[in-house]
Amino acid sequence: MTDAAASGADVVRVRVGDVVRSGRAITLPDDVDPASVVEAIQSPDDADDTDSRIAVDASEPGPVHEHVGYVHPGMGLRTRTALARAARSRGMTAPDDEEVESIRERLTAIDVGEGDIADHRRAVAEVTTETERLREQVAAARGKLQAAREGGGDATAATAELESAVRQLSETETDSVAASQRLQRAREAARERRDRRERLRRLEDRAANLEREARAHLVGQLADRYREAVAAVPSAGNVADPFDADPVTAALAIARLAALSAPVVLACDRFGSAAAARRWLDAPVVRV
Amino acid sequence: MLLVIAYTRESRTSLRNVARAHEDSVVRQFGRVALFEATEFGAFQALRLREKHGEAIQVERTRPFNEFDAVRPAVREAARAYENRETPAVPYGRFADGRNLPPPEAMKGVEL
Repeated sequence: MTDAAASGADVVRVRVGDVVRSGRAITLPDDVDPASVVEAIQSPDDADDTDSRIAVDASEPGPVHEHVGYVHPGMGLRTRTALARAARSRGMTAPDDEEVESIRERLTAIDVGEGDIADHRRAVAEVTTETERLREQVAAARGKLQAAREGGGDATAATAELESAVRQLSETETDSVAASQRLQRAREAARERRDRRERLRRLEDRAANLEREARAHLVGQLADRYREAVAAVPSAGNVADPFDADPVTAALAIARLAALSAPVVLACDRFGSAAAARRWLDAPVVRV
Repeated sequence: MLLVIAYTRESRTSLRNVARAHEDSVVRQFGRVALFEATEFGAFQALRLREKHGEAIQVERTRPFNEFDAVRPAVREAARAYENRETPAVPYGRFADGRNLPPPEAMKGVEL
């Protein structure tokens, strides 16, 4: 099943078990799982995820391949995102590309720094509880001493108890002040980290808006050709709005517009042969 | 109430999702900020968000502001007098000068 024209760029080699097929339009037997073939194309080195019976040697897939590299019934498709990536694959650009790139560069340069000030909050809460407890203890000791004096008994033990309670309270209050100050400083540092995070988020929002605009721009540039491609998809039926086309039709149209060097895996019945699909898509094809 | 502020795009999405799913525990929501009811359940939602996003979620506890309790009368009087001034362009500092109203710097130095 070797394509006679199989030479030069974009030649695909697929090994299934012991059988190797190569060319730019390959047909695989029905018992091969097309998803495994896609897996082998997209992560050829990831042996864990790949069916070891299947190996593919082909050009590395670009971003648009993620969307239209596997065309099958039941697939989902983010049409506009895919179309914008198809435009990119053809070298098309959007007006603000440079600004997006510069923002992305600035983003990597911002180091927010991580922090967790929960320990400081916990310390303050604990020392506050302890202070409350000791205040009550001091009040109780004071009451006891008062009672001892009024009863005319020996106040020595009660005095010692009160003194001890007052000393403990005083120490804990000192700890409390120190813990509050530490928390205050930690909160200030956290606020600075949040300031940086805020700058980061603004830049990310800006980049995301520009990327949305870029996508719309690229989609606009290709819209007419996309419409024509949808109309030309075999068995597409009547499509009123090409952006509402069924995912298989839309994916084939986008694949036709994209510059694809990695093979498109087809598990749909729109073409009579792998060679016909390859000609229509102008891309290497593996048909299952 | 609990003031919950999101500082990243991801935490903002989570905050919006939580606020939408638990409307009855949310007193107000604006953009990437929400006020949760001061209940254990409100605290639970705020803590969930912080667990997931760390410092990208800030949680503060608010309390009702009673100006008759929190500030001295001069501050209330200053606000009233300044908002009822006859010359709109005059900045507060100049307005306060010579009127026996607290100067801005003095108020900045006093914590509530």
